[in-house]
Amino acid sequence: MHEVALTVNGTNMRIEVEPRMTLADALRDRCDLTGTHLACEHGVCGSCTISVDGRAVRSCLMFAVQADGADVMTIEGLANGEELHPVQKAFQAEHGLQCGFCTPGFVMSVTKFLETTPDPTDDQIRDGISGNLCRCTGYQGIVRAVKRAAAELNGQS
Amino acid sequence: MSNRIISPVGARFVGQSVQRKEDRRLVTGHGQYVDDIKVPGALHAAFLRSDVARGRITKLDVSAAREAPGVHGVYTWQDFHEQFGEAYHVMMGEALVVPPPLAIMDVRHVGDPIALVVADDRYLAEDALELIELELEVDQAVVDYRTAADDSDNVVHAGWGLPSNVMVAMPFMPLAPDLDEAFASAAHVVETLVDQNRYNCVPMEGRGIVATWNQGRGEMDIIASTQSVHETRNFFARYLDIPEGNIRVTARDVGGGFGQKMFVFREECAIVLAARAVRGTVKWIEDRRENLIASGHSRNESGTVRVAVADDLTITAMSVDHVADVGAYPPCPAVLDPTLLTGPYRIPRMGFSMSMVWTNTMGKVAYRGPWMFETTAREIAIDATARAIGVDPVELRRKNLLSFDELPYTSAAQREMVEITPLETLDQALEMLDYEGFRREQEAARAEGRLLGVGVSVYVEPTSMDAPSLHTEGATVRVEASGKVVAYLGTTSHGQSIETTMAQIVADTLGVAYDDVIVVQADTQSTPYGPGTGGSRTAVLAGGAAQRATESLREKVVAIAAHMLEASGDDLEIADSTISVKGTPSKSVTLFEVAKLAYRQAHTLPADVDSSLEATVRFRPTRFPTWSNATHICVVEIDRVTWRPTILRYIVSEDCGRMINPMVVEGQIFGGVAQGIGGVLYENFVYDNEGTPLTTTFMDYLLPTAAEMPHIEIGHLETVSTTNPGGFKGLGEGGAIGSHACVTNAVSDALAPFGIVVTKTPLGPNDIFELVRAAGHA
Amino acid sequence: MKPAPFEYSAPTTVAEAIEALSHDDAKVLAGGQSLIPLMAMRLSRFDRLVDLRRIPELSGCTRVNGTVRIGAMTRQADAEHDPIVAEGAPLLAKALPNVGHYQIRNQGTVGGSIVHADPSAELPTAALALDATIEIAGASGVRRVPASEFFLGTMETAVGDHEIVTAIEFPVWGPGSGFAVEEMARRHGDFAVVGAMCGVRIEGGTVAQSAIAMFGVGSVPVRCGAAESMLTGSTVDGLDLGAVAQAAVADLDPPDDLHASGAYRRAVGAALVERALRAAIEEAGHA
Repeated sequence: MHEVALTVNGTNMRIEVEPRMTLADALRDRCDLTGTHLACEHGVCGSCTISVDGRAVRSCLMFAVQADGADVMTIEGLANGEELHPVQKAFQAEHGLQCGFCTPGFVMSVTKFLETTPDPTDDQIRDGISGNLCRCTGYQGIVRAVKRAAAELNGQS
Repeated sequence: MSNRIISPVGARFVGQSVQRKEDRRLVTGHGQYVDDIKVPGALHAAFLRSDVARGRITKLDVSAAREAPGVHGVYTWQDFHEQFGEAYHVMMGEALVVPPPLAIMDVRHVGDPIALVVADDRYLAEDALELIELELEVDQAVVDYRTAADDSDNVVHAGWGLPSNVMVAMPFMPLAPDLDEAFASAAHVVETLVDQNRYNCVPMEGRGIVATWNQGRGEMDIIASTQSVHETRNFFARYLDIPEGNIRVTARDVGGGFGQKMFVFREECAIVLAARAVRGTVKWIEDRRENLIASGHSRNESGTVRVAVADDLTITAMSVDHVADVGAYPPCPAVLDPTLLTGPYRIPRMGFSMSMVWTNTMGKVAYRGPWMFETTAREIAIDATARAIGVDPVELRRKNLLSFDELPYTSAAQREMVEITPLETLDQALEMLDYEGFRREQEAARAEGRLLGVGVSVYVEPTSMDAPSLHTEGATVRVEASGKVVAYLGTTSHGQSIETTMAQIVADTLGVAYDDVIVVQADTQSTPYGPGTGGSRTAVLAGGAAQRATESLREKVVAIAAHMLEASGDDLEIADSTISVKGTPSKSVTLFEVAKLAYRQAHTLPADVDSSLEATVRFRPTRFPTWSNATHICVVEIDRVTWRPTILRYIVSEDCGRMINPMVVEGQIFGGVAQGIGGVLYENFVYDNEGTPLTTTFMDYLLPTAAEMPHIEIGHLETVSTTNPGGFKGLGEGGAIGSHACVTNAVSDALAPFGIVVTKTPLGPNDIFELVRAAGHA
Repeated sequence: MKPAPFEYSAPTTVAEAIEALSHDDAKVLAGGQSLIPLMAMRLSRFDRLVDLRRIPELSGCTRVNGTVRIGAMTRQADAEHDPIVAEGAPLLAKALPNVGHYQIRNQGTVGGSIVHADPSAELPTAALALDATIEIAGASGVRRVPASEFFLGTMETAVGDHEIVTAIEFPVWGPGSGFAVEEMARRHGDFAVVGAMCGVRIEGGTVAQSAIAMFGVGSVPVRCGAAESMLTGSTVDGLDLGAVAQAAVADLDPPDDLHASGAYRRAVGAALVERALRAAIEEAGHA
């Protein structure tokens, strides 16, 4: 067992893990943060996307021991209290989700994508979210949501 | 057509794209999918599965696994022998038995579960799997369903004593006495072999179950990722031979299903038996590899379609000879519905044959529009027929499609077609595309050597399907003591926005705010029975139940209010949770005041006024099915270097009756279309000749991403249905049903300059390259 | 889908890493984006993983002796956005966005991809096309292997079990250069079914230097020497790029697999070479 100290959604945590435990499993089982979903466990679907030290990564492709000292943000940390993040609001407003299973991964990916591409074209949006799979929406509501979120975030800044 | 479109007069919420009640918890990571539910002390399960398609088990030794760290139990068929009773789904009938949960003497497909490990966590369970000693004597597998029926040397179910691989074979049946003459005398008869590849539901959340046996009470508590909590409960009541009341099945959030979660599979049976064996909680979360290999496969069928056409382009007859692969253990073999073969066309004569064959592959399960091949076969054949006789496929369709004004129309298979708009949706879609303009653009593009094509697909969808066990749906609606409203439904939502759409109906029908209505579903202890969410049945059946129950509740509210206001019930109206005398708004009581009286001061009511603020209704539509219909059109360009097809336009004109929530309607269409596009251009589940699956990861089974999906344009017609009080029709499956043929036809049209007619899928770049190469053009 | 158990080391120096690798059945963990899926499916297992991410000297891009030197643990996303790479190794900069998706490139490393040696991957091909040198450290010191000798087979390289790749040096081409990457992948971000990378340097209307490399056509990325010799020394105006592209694939015998036949890879590969050459020449002309 390894002790891992990390910050999750602004809270310092110490967890005990076997080296083989993925960061996704550690967040779900050790930190009780089940918003990070596992839909493939081999790095393709993007459902487990989180932020590690400010970068969007697949938490199924990282072992929890590697996150020692890391600053992690999960979907649960995105809203400011009761006030949803503009990306979360936009997914709701534009019907960017149906079953919702892929949604946390999408929201985390999109949030990071818009930090580097604040005013994306449609092609850039489709490229930027192509690392996340959704089976319900055909992506159309998600593309609209990214546009809406970009507009709102640009209006804020 | 305007007289057929209901304007939502009096409706505040129905017809509006109100925001979903489901979303807030889901966008914040607070959904509760089955793997998110933590039961203290739960044990975790993993299955040992066959990596051989057909073979006999010669050694199975689990003793080392039983000694492995953290292991609480290792089970083989012997441990479950005679531990269970009847194993069938009502919808499938008693004849289709779910096989024993673990393989007994032999394995019949890769992924066949052989042993089950229950351990402290999934990591340890998978460690123990590696300690199980398994030896198999491999037999020649039956893989290709096209030849399986003739293979008498290798029989999938020889172990059951069956003589052949044919599950069902129905010889050719003409549905018109002069069918042969019609073919013999037709100006043109075109025969087309339509071949649809194997592609699958692939919900983002796989299956999963948490089963807890309460030894003291003799109760089984099940939390499952399912499309039907009630049928899951009833299945296990029979399976465990305990009363339904001793089983509770719930689902909170379900991460998609598309048909795959409509039925109890062998794995769920094994987990429930294991929970009873350990007298505790066992959790199984299907991983992606299991989901791809062993969670029910779909499509994979073919048909020879013959179309007879007169000189004036009237289609005078059609026949289809259909063959489908059902795999080894089909949870739902999805039988062909021959009455759908002629679809929305005026085709007076029809005939068909059908056969379903077993193979050593994963069994078939329903997938969004399990009757889509009827559309796929017809629509691809119509394009091929038009090509063969040298007419535009749209012209051939226009000549033969039904229009609203000629309904009702009784089809060759004696289906009464009503309240649909096939020709009208075709016209709308053509106009959205500017079909004539496109054909001119195509001509210019072809002159430059570009490969541009257009495809059309028109269909009717039998929503709220006519299966006897699916004929009803229940709802209980109650005004609570606070004046807020709860609707208890028999549905099990897995992405359909049911909490939202049903609340819209209840709110409008009762006259309360949308925010004041809570929808409770997917809990067998509190909700009325419902056979499951699927078959595009929720809008019609649950919507009808919710509306009728709310109407009944409204009468109770009005009766109490009439007493309070000393007015006649007929003079009262309800709006914004206030019951008032028409024309005298000052004379009113609030719903809360009504509830207060009913719950706390019922003694003040006259004896003939019911103090109950609750109504339960079982709703049955007036007719089956409730038809909806649509036309799909898409434009495809094929790159001459890579042979990659790209969809440039995708248009849907649909008629799902009165829309409850247009945003939700469109979302259902987008998702369905994506699955059809996926199935033609990207997704293809492949077995090798030994029956070993080759597409077992998301690296090889290719779900389309946002970068592959086109923007979809939607036009709506709203022809009201009279099967249900709201005028609704289902539409959940239509997007998937129409898109396969539409995309295939567009690729075919794009390749027309090479003389290629495409009737077989998939159509990835390599498939197109091979077609072009075979035609001598690459 | 959970990995088998292993021990874990996170050394902070190269020497410690080499020491850690000398025991057990140990394996280097770089970005993990290819390794961890294989472990999750239990297709690979190791007694020990030696994680290199805490060795600072293995990360970063610098311009050294006419090369762009990229530390093996430099994340692909960092290299992708590094102006040193864009200026000194434009082909690599063009190849990097095709590696998986950005979430993968945020963790995946340049060295990790090259050592993983997937024959359909972009970075090994870029290394081969640019005649990169791979620096390998082991117990007996540092050795330098040219890319042409590095890739031995599918996921098989010249790196020994107890060695680590520390850096890759990509030679800088001179003025008048142009580069292009063309690949056919089934979906956005997928490994290529077939692809081509081309570079040309043009001096006074004559091709002074050229490189054509293809991926997805065999067990290792391939340099197309015969095709290059048709380019180098020729005047740009007289080039028959179609013939060059045909020469590039003339000796190839690409495999059939799930996503494409060998015939497809040859035919489309040739077309991609032609497209890439055209683009590279165009860019060189404007350079």
